[in-house]
Parts: sequence; structure tokens; C-alpha cells
Amino acid sequence: MSLLQTLIVRGLSLLVVLITVLFLSVIVLGATGYSDRLLTATVSEELRGLRQSLSQNIRDPNELEQVIEDRREQLIEFYGLDRPWYYRLPDMVFRILTLDLGEARTLRSFTGSNRVSDIVLERLPNTVLLITSATIITSIIGLYVGVKIATQVGSRLERSVSYFSAISYALPAWWLGIIFIILFAFQLRILPSSGMFSVPPPTEPFARFLDRLVHAILPIFTLVIVSVGSWSYAVRTMVLNISQEDFVNVARAKGLPENLVMRRHIIRVAAPPIVTSLILGLTGSLGGAILTETVFGWPGMGRLYYEAILAADESVIVALTFMFTLLYVIARFILEILYVVLDPRVRYK
Amino acid sequence: MSTNRDNLKEFFSSTSGKIGSILLVLFILISVFVVFTYPLNFGNTIWSNPAYWSDYPKSAPPTWISIFGNENVEHQIIDFTSPVDIVPISNQEQRLYSYTFNYDSNISPTFLSLSMYDVVYHDRPPTISVSILRPDNEEVLIYREVISPPRPGEEGPYIRYSDSPFRINLSGDKSVSSNLIQFVQDKSNSQISVNDIVGSNEKYIFSAFSPTDSQEILTGEYKILIKFVTNSENDSISKIRFVLGGSSYGLLGTDSLGRNISVGLLFGFPIALLIGLTTSTITTMIGTAMGIISGYTGGRTDTIIQRFSDTLSNIPLLPILLFLIFIFGPQLWLVMTILVLFGWPGLTIIIRSMVLQINSSQSIEAAKSLGASKWRIMYRHIFPQLAPFIFAQLVFFTPAAILAEASLSFLGLGDPSIPTWGQILENGFRTGGVYIGYWWWILPPGLLIVITAMIFVFIALALEPVVNPKLKKM
Repeated sequence: MSLLQTLIVRGLSLLVVLITVLFLSVIVLGATGYSDRLLTATVSEELRGLRQSLSQNIRDPNELEQVIEDRREQLIEFYGLDRPWYYRLPDMVFRILTLDLGEARTLRSFTGSNRVSDIVLERLPNTVLLITSATIITSIIGLYVGVKIATQVGSRLERSVSYFSAISYALPAWWLGIIFIILFAFQLRILPSSGMFSVPPPTEPFARFLDRLVHAILPIFTLVIVSVGSWSYAVRTMVLNISQEDFVNVARAKGLPENLVMRRHIIRVAAPPIVTSLILGLTGSLGGAILTETVFGWPGMGRLYYEAILAADESVIVALTFMFTLLYVIARFILEILYVVLDPRVRYK
Repeated sequence: MSTNRDNLKEFFSSTSGKIGSILLVLFILISVFVVFTYPLNFGNTIWSNPAYWSDYPKSAPPTWISIFGNENVEHQIIDFTSPVDIVPISNQEQRLYSYTFNYDSNISPTFLSLSMYDVVYHDRPPTISVSILRPDNEEVLIYREVISPPRPGEEGPYIRYSDSPFRINLSGDKSVSSNLIQFVQDKSNSQISVNDIVGSNEKYIFSAFSPTDSQEILTGEYKILIKFVTNSENDSISKIRFVLGGSSYGLLGTDSLGRNISVGLLFGFPIALLIGLTTSTITTMIGTAMGIISGYTGGRTDTIIQRFSDTLSNIPLLPILLFLIFIFGPQLWLVMTILVLFGWPGLTIIIRSMVLQINSSQSIEAAKSLGASKWRIMYRHIFPQLAPFIFAQLVFFTPAAILAEASLSFLGLGDPSIPTWGQILENGFRTGGVYIGYWWWILPPGLLIVITAMIFVFIALALEPVVNPKLKKM
């Protein structure tokens, strides 16, 4: 019961974050007149369609104009364009929630659609693929290295990891990506510089998979490099803190083998705070993914951000901001569940 | 209790503290130099003004790469301001300008251009002619032009090219090719046409016309001869500029608009420090104040501040920053404001938890029982205990602000009136510099961002044992 309660509370507070972002963007859009422009564009788009279909049946131009004018007034009232923007707040929030943001100005989806929801949703899996694989690889390496160096404080490995962690904090993902492109794609010529598939993509499924894998190596490698240092260091610090506790000394005094002490008494206890630090690093890796995708031309939502900025496509940017917040909130909630599962104190409170 | 002097000693005893402080001083000195020597509106009037850079070679690598054996032509901007000789011819006056230089490179200049500044004449328009005397004693006429005549109804003196100079690219100009064609045909013994040589005029002017290698350059002493023929001695021209386009330029080369990258990068120093230090200082101030108030006051104030901070600190920064800057327009002060708005809550949460520990200490209880006011306790008794930690946080947050601005610029949302390292890098990236191999355009700005961020990371590392003495044991 208490487990469920905790999760509900966490979920609610994340929902508040999502709603805050939604309202913040809607208020900003409304107050700056962007929402008026968005809706006006939607109205004229609909009228254009109407005119095309009606011109087949209605020959008299005056009558056609009259019908269209009536429809325009209807639409303006329907979208609330005749009233100030703040009356439309709930409506706009709902539109963003359902990604019902009309047509993009110049951007197109891979299948040629110009609907904002098509363009954004089509790229979502690519971004999720990139972030998830990078996070999983980082976590595994970070856990392994972190635990290893916690047992050998002062060693050369431990010191180099802590220096590396400090350096990677100052290392922008996009610049590192550029260096990797210059190094691996142009100097050594062993990996492709950008994109997700070769042109033309291989037809055989296994070759296709390999092709995608080869293209994913550099972006994932970049994301891992920028975050793995600080991750290992965080794990090291947490493991070290716990290994100085009395119960660990007791376990050792009982004569338990060291790897058992490490597994059962240290890592088990250190797991919840480690998840917490993963949670704290989440916004950072989301930002890192946006930049990495841009550098490597990875066709995900991050690269779409860059393209939308260059094309000045505001509805795509609104949709992307919402989608990234949603992605964050979902990822965060998964980690919260993991935290609750790992930390028995939450369960038996 | 350690004294300040001990703390300083501790700080400077670490390698990272030493490196960080030395670099920081260096960066500050460079920034001071830039602030005093650059005009305030550098971004608009110089950096983003293509006319200013038209006399520089485009996408040229740094000069020093010639050390590695790359063939190199020195970039020369030759300004003629006073004539070497004035020859009166009947009622005209011929002013002679000349410049002798030694050309020993194996490749021709990348381009040739001529500019005229501030021409004033009183009667009939003056004429300018440019020729080059080659080492083989051939004098080649390159260019001849009559300054534009008076417009109908215009009264003298007639002023020309005073707002913006008259500039002509001699390499690609067809009239130059027509002037050259006879010379080229004679020398090469072929019926080459004007259209064949236009666009590469400079190659023929410097060609050795060797029968075996058409690319061979005639090395030796060249002389530029400029004649400015006027009809009145009151006529004047303030400056004539002749440019021999080099294959490399300056310390860090140029970008595709001919902009000197090192000049732009220098301007980035004070901007980066300004962004980093201002943002982190304000963020830490607000974060600290809110944290102390929240932790010490408790009750409803505490709850409100904590709910608020929780929500704000949970918003993914880069997407919201991109969204807001896109809507409100790319302005640097706005970027800094948003970074502050979303930056302070994280610190507030930490400070609050520290204040809760201090609250129960005896010193606070003593101050309370002595009747000290709420604000006095917060300011005089709680804040000083937190001060070292807060200072470390300030240092640690500085690179975050610098990196956030750089990321934003890299995504194309940099403030166009203030060039930053991120923007220079983005220009290079968008122009395809990565794929073409303009490393001098891509690597230095990124490296400077990394070094600047590293300075503060190093200082923060060296501060850690001072702030948190428990770490010393480990």
C-alpha cells in the first residue's frame, strides 16, 4: 500500500512538472502573439482546402466567397480567435497534449507528411534508441569502474578516473562529437560521419541492422564518454561512503569474503543513491542527446530541433519542447520506480 | 578552526588550484585587453559586417602551417596614401604611386583586388590606371578606370566613394582580362580568349609562361605602378589599396567570409567570463537567499519555496531554453536571465538541507536566546557558516552557464550582435567546415570553451578540501 502511495506521490509531482511546462509554453505563446499566428495559419489552411473542394461544385464566385466567409467566421469562433488569448489557455494546452499543432511550415516527415505530429512522432523512436542505449552502456561501465576504483583509493586508475570526470564536466558533447567525426570519419575513415543509414540503405535485414549499428557507434560513444567519468566517480563516492559504515566492518569481521561483502552489503545499500544520481543526470543527458544528434545528423527529435530553428518553424519547436519534457518525465518515473524497488525503506515505512 | 591564510595555502598547494588560478589570471588579462582595445559594438560594425572583411582571403588556414611544408603565399595589403612622384603634363597632373615586392612563392596569389577611398574632384573626372612591372621587365597594364562623371545637376566639388570605398576584384573582372589578353597571347604563343582567362587573371599576371609547366610562377621582383591622373591639383584621393590575396592568414586563419578568426576568438574571452561569472553569481545569490529563508523560517514559506524549487529544478533545461529563446529572440541578457531562473532552485534545495542541520546547533540557539532578530540570525550566524560552500558552488556553476550559452549558440540561437566562441564554431559547422576540413575554424573555439570551463572545474576541485575538510582524510 505504502509502495503504491509513494509512487503516486512521485508521479503527481512529475505531472506538476509537465503541466508547468505546458502552461509556461502556452502563456508565452499567447502573450507574444505566437498562438494567434499558429491558429490563423490553421484556419487559412482549412479554408484553402475548402475552397479547392467547393470550387468544383459552386460556379458563381460571389456565392463561393460568401460560403467561405461564413466558414471563416465559424472557424474563428471555433478556435477562439475572436477572444483574447487567455480564454484559449485550456484549449491550447489540450492541443499541445495531443500534438494537434497543425502543419509545419517547411519541414516534412520522411514519408512526406507536413503534419507536426507525424514529423515529431516519426523521430521519437530514434531519440529513445540513442538515449537508452547510451544510458545503459554508461550505467554498466560506470558501475563496474566505480566499484573497482572504490576498492583502490589513491591508485593510478582511481586518480585518472577522477581527473577524467572533472574534464568531462567541461567537455561539451557537441564539440567532442565534432572531434570524433574529424578523427574517425575523416582521418581514419573507419566510421560514417553522419546519418542513420548508408545511402542507399542495404535491403537485407541483417545488413540493415549492421548498417544502423555502425552509424550509431559514434553518437553513442560520444554520449557515453561525456557522462561515464562523472558517473563512475559518483558510484565510487557512494560505495566509499557506505564501505566505511559499521555494518560493513562487522560483515568483514565475520570473515565474509570481500566480493560477498561488496555485493550484499555495500552495493545493495549504495544502489538507491546511485539511482538518485542517475536521476539527477537525466536532464543533462537529454540535452546531450539534442546536441549529439545535431552533430551526427542522427534523425531524431534533437536534430529536428536544429532543423526547426533553422527553418523558424515554431509549431515544431513547441511540439518538441513538450515531447522532450514528456520524455524526461517518463524516464524519471521509470527511475523512481527502480528507486522504490531498490530501497526497502520506502516499502516498509 | 583554520584561518584564511591556511585555506589559501591549502588551495595553492594542489596542482589543479595552481593551474586554474594561473589560467584564470591569464584569461582576465586578455579580457581586460579586449575590453580596452575593441569597440563596444564590435559585433555589429566589424564582425558581422562583410564589407569590413572583403580584403581578407576566404577560408584561409593559419600562416604557421607553412612550417609543415605547405606552399604558402603571404597575404599583402598594400596601402598607397602619398605619391612617389608628381608629373605635370600640360594642364593635367599625373600622380605616381609604386610599390616593389619580392615574390618567391611557387603558387600565384589567391586573388587580387583594388580599392579607392574618398575621391574628390573639381572639374573633369580623374583616371586611375594600375600596371605591374614583372621581373622579366614586361609592364602589364591591368586596370584602367575613369572615376564616375558628375550626375546631371550635381555641383562640384564632386565627392566619390566616401561612404563606402570603391572595390574591384581584379581576378574575376572581364575588363582586366581584356587588358591582359594581348600580353598573354604574345607570351604563351596561343590564341587564348578573354573568356578563358577571366576568373584566373592573377595566375596569368604571375605566370612564367613556361612551355613545360603552365602552372609555373615567375619569381623575382615585382613592382606595382599606379597612375592617378587629375585635371586640378586640388583633386584628391585619400587612399588606394592593392591586395595580394594570400593562401593563409594570421594566427588562426579566416572563415568563409574572410573574417580573421583570432580577432573573433579574442572578443569571446570577456564575453565568456561575463556570461559565466554574472550568471553564476546571481544564481548563487538567489539560491542561497531562498535556501536560508526556506530552511530557517520553515512552515508555509518553506513548503511553498520547496514545491516551487522542486518543480523548476525538474524541468529539462535545454529544451525550455531553446523554446524561450526561439520565441523571445536571441539576446544574450535573456539567455542569462533564463539560466538564472532555472538554475537557483537546485542550490536552494541543497542549502535548505544544510540550514536544517545548522538550525539545531547551539550557536543558533544562543543567538536566539540573546534576542537576535530572524534576519540577523540568517545573515550573521547561518550565512557565514555556509559561505565557503556557497563560494565553491559559485565556481562550480560558472562553467555550466558558459557551456549552456555555447550549446545554445551551437544550435543556431546565439545573439548575432555579440559574437561568442559557440557562434564561431556553429558558423564553421553549418558551412560544412567539419567535412571540408577547416580545422582552424572548428578546433580553437571549442578548445577555448573547454579550457575556460576547465579553469573553473580545476579551481572548484582545489576548493573542495578547503570547503569540506572531511575529504582531506580520504
